[in-house]
Amino acid sequence: MVAALQSPQSYRSRYLWLDRERGRFLVHRSAYTSPEIFEEEKRRILRRSWVVLGHESEVRNKGDFIVRTVIDRELIFNRDVEGRVNAFFNSCRHRGTAICREPRGNRKRFVCPYHGWAYKSSGELFDQHASFGYGERFNEGGFYNLQRVPRIAERAGFYFVNFDPEAIPLDEYLADAGPNLDAIAEQSAVGMEVVRGCHEYEIKANYKLICENSYDGYHLELTHSSYVDYMRTMMRGVPVSEMNIHGCARSLGNGHACFELEIPTGRPVAQWLPVWGEEAREAIEAKKRELETRLGKERAGRIAVTNRNMVIFPNSIINDQQTVLLRTVTPTAHNRMVIRAWSIGPADEGPILRRIRNEGALSFLGPGGFATPDDVEMLELCQRGFETSDIEWNDISKGFRSDEQTLHDNDEHFDNELQMRAYWTRWEQLMSAPERPV
Amino acid sequence: MSAALLQRLAVEDFLYSEAALLDDWKLKEWLELFSPTARYEVAPTGDPEAGTLSSADSLFLVADDRERLEQRVVRLRKPQAHAEYPHSRVRHLYSNVRIVADSDDRLEVHSNFVTFRTKRGFTATYMGWHRWVLRRNGDGFLIDLKRTVLDLDGLVPQGKVSLLL
Repeated sequence: MVAALQSPQSYRSRYLWLDRERGRFLVHRSAYTSPEIFEEEKRRILRRSWVVLGHESEVRNKGDFIVRTVIDRELIFNRDVEGRVNAFFNSCRHRGTAICREPRGNRKRFVCPYHGWAYKSSGELFDQHASFGYGERFNEGGFYNLQRVPRIAERAGFYFVNFDPEAIPLDEYLADAGPNLDAIAEQSAVGMEVVRGCHEYEIKANYKLICENSYDGYHLELTHSSYVDYMRTMMRGVPVSEMNIHGCARSLGNGHACFELEIPTGRPVAQWLPVWGEEAREAIEAKKRELETRLGKERAGRIAVTNRNMVIFPNSIINDQQTVLLRTVTPTAHNRMVIRAWSIGPADEGPILRRIRNEGALSFLGPGGFATPDDVEMLELCQRGFETSDIEWNDISKGFRSDEQTLHDNDEHFDNELQMRAYWTRWEQLMSAPERPV
Repeated sequence: MSAALLQRLAVEDFLYSEAALLDDWKLKEWLELFSPTARYEVAPTGDPEAGTLSSADSLFLVADDRERLEQRVVRLRKPQAHAEYPHSRVRHLYSNVRIVADSDDRLEVHSNFVTFRTKRGFTATYMGWHRWVLRRNGDGFLIDLKRTVLDLDGLVPQGKVSLLL
């Protein structure tokens, strides 16, 4: 059971302090600043959670591979010549060499550059580049095959890995976050694809800060006021009657959460913005008709206008806005992380909508855009504030009701802080539970 | 001096004055160097073909047409552009200037660059090359294209491209 949810009025642990009478929900700042806690959460949380690895379109063809870091492990993500998708540790079973040196490519085999141990794309060792010295039974049982990550699973085209062999199945783990991934896949009848180009950037702050920030509706108006000004110029021609904003927040179980927002800022799937012009209007209307034919009017209508920012606990971020943006978070220290972000769109998207998607993605969400650099700045200022003060507690109380069921609840406001409370409730539960031996 | 050398010197003078405006945060004056149809781009990091990719089908860091470039300048001049408030100190160094194509009205120029950005005790280094398309304009030039190609796998540790490269 979740201790923080059991106590009627107040609860205080090493990490959380809930005071329902006063409407306070606090997080201890050591959770962002302590190298020891960071090591502990790697062990207890990060290496035992399902973490997004990539998208099926990145390894579409047999032999396609990508080298990608997940948490603190470098993996080969590939589709072997049999068509199976794999995740191997990028390390030779012989003496440890990182085998794959290119970031991506297409290979039927991986050959270690040090002594020539050669592996099939399925991971099977088939040659040690040695005419003597090894017995017949040396690789019996595949002992020296490339080592697989214990678990890999897919949902709606997104591949996830888990370093814990005992982990619960992915679908169970995703809980109500799963249908949100399905809704992304529904944007196209032929599947979604990752657009070429990756936004990779370091933030000198604890990795949980970008998770909080990604579905924080409260900061938009102030942190991003200069982006809002820009957006106003882009929204010229939108009738005043359509300038409505509807939003809500949802806690999706297991610490996952999202906010949902209807706002007429335009989406390639499928909401037109007058500034994009008539050609784009036709393309977007055609896309909307395609959605309606395939999914029915009601569901198509929702997919077309719903923007959703979601964090899959503990560090996978999927924002469905001007584009579908997949953000992976690699914590490199208690106060450092590397973000890698990819833009995802329908594989059959035409050039007009693809251009709109790319421009929307980079103008808001990228590290060269009008908003993300200010988020980076805010998160670094938070970390600095933590590390240069004696203040112990952070506040995430906005919208905290005395009867809130934090892990499964809704909030009619997208700009309260239910999302973060869900995250921290789950985090605290995992950090406080008796530790299961590896 | 040969005509080619004189032309290169004229281009270098132009590029150096462009860099000086950026170093001095004179962004409105900098914007005036761009033509009405200009593009300002920063290509994706970590892609060996970044010099020739198109922002129509790849995810760039920056792909501004004239309108968005104006909005970028408007934004950077506000205190609400938090990443650049207070303004960082920046220093653009351009070198290896080569005119690679020369027609009646336009020049294509390649140059290398190193730009330093210092803020809150941290200095980030950006390095790479620029592809310029310059349009002749009286005695001088207007910029039709400034594409920045970074020699970086990612913005680690730089974190962002909040400055103009």
